[in-house]
Amino acid sequence: MNRFYLLAASLVSLLGATRTLREGVAIGLCAVLTASLHQLLLTPLRKRLARWAYVLASLLLLAALLTCLQLGLRAWLLPLAITLGPYPLLLCLQCLAVDHLLPEQGRWRLLATHLGAVFACCLLLGACRQWLANITDVHLANLAPGALLLLGLLVALYNRLRPGPAHPRRQGKL
Amino acid sequence: MNRLARDAGLLLLTAAIAVSTTLAWRQWTRPAIVSAEKQLQTRQRLAVLPAGSYDNQPLDNPLPTPAAQRPASRVLAAYRATLTGKPSAIILVTQAQGYAGPIVLSVAIATDGRLIASQVVEQQESPGLGARLGDPQVHWLDQFANRHLGDHWALERDHGDFDQLAGATVTSRAVITALQEALGYFDEQRGGLLEGAVDE
Repeated sequence: MNRFYLLAASLVSLLGATRTLREGVAIGLCAVLTASLHQLLLTPLRKRLARWAYVLASLLLLAALLTCLQLGLRAWLLPLAITLGPYPLLLCLQCLAVDHLLPEQGRWRLLATHLGAVFACCLLLGACRQWLANITDVHLANLAPGALLLLGLLVALYNRLRPGPAHPRRQGKL
Repeated sequence: MNRLARDAGLLLLTAAIAVSTTLAWRQWTRPAIVSAEKQLQTRQRLAVLPAGSYDNQPLDNPLPTPAAQRPASRVLAAYRATLTGKPSAIILVTQAQGYAGPIVLSVAIATDGRLIASQVVEQQESPGLGARLGDPQVHWLDQFANRHLGDHWALERDHGDFDQLAGATVTSRAVITALQEALGYFDEQRGGLLEGAVDE
């Protein structure tokens, strides 16, 4: 159950900033870096703080992390930072959702799987969109709605090709 | 009560660490950001000049821009590119009102009043429509190269010489007018731009 929500939580940056393979790699790395650092910083606080204080601390750390990330991008990769636009900052949505959705047990393993999946999706979307826009001249691939359609097609393809009996969820039935 | 105080203390500590780290990081990256921005600006503004057509640092010596306000655009800056001491081109940075916000263009004009090339420095047009203005795959700005002030500076639908950017009439008209006005400005201020202050 959690797995699907986790992927959906990363959708904003995944669709917005994967116009080329280069952008895909960059936003994928940013997503992996921020989510893992955020979890790492929150680990010592989780047991010690009451719920309300924990949420506030999480927000503060997230704001600091993403500000530092954005400043770093602007300092050393300015052209890339401009093409990525606000999407590195919107990774905060993903980090908050991840923190909320990860279970107490097996937290790190699930986080690693999730971040691996997000990174792979970023690479795949970036490569497909760049290829579609440059080689086949499909203009829609450059825009966010095109990215959503493409992601849908890729998920369908994955479900079709994945070996083993299909889960009802993957057959489009409830 | 004790628990509450401990939570608040720990939270304050976290906040202090987060804020001080961010401030220190900002202080540390500031020089790099300033120099990266300057470099990017230089690259964008000078991209209109073919390599080897100048041997000075045009952006180091901005020229005065009297009467910079045109009817539909504004000349923000002017620079002179020279080759072996002789002016080879003038770069005008001009700003026009686009569909969604200002469009800033860098325009290179040869000494004979011919437009060498133009490039978008800044724009906020609609993604996929007006924003394709500077898209290297669309080559829309290339059609203005080697044009003079005497050409018909309008879209074909307005009985002019130029193709419009698909789905972005307002953007296209704004850019064409801005380029025409930049050429007009060059024509008007020619003496001051080409001779004016002698380079040391």
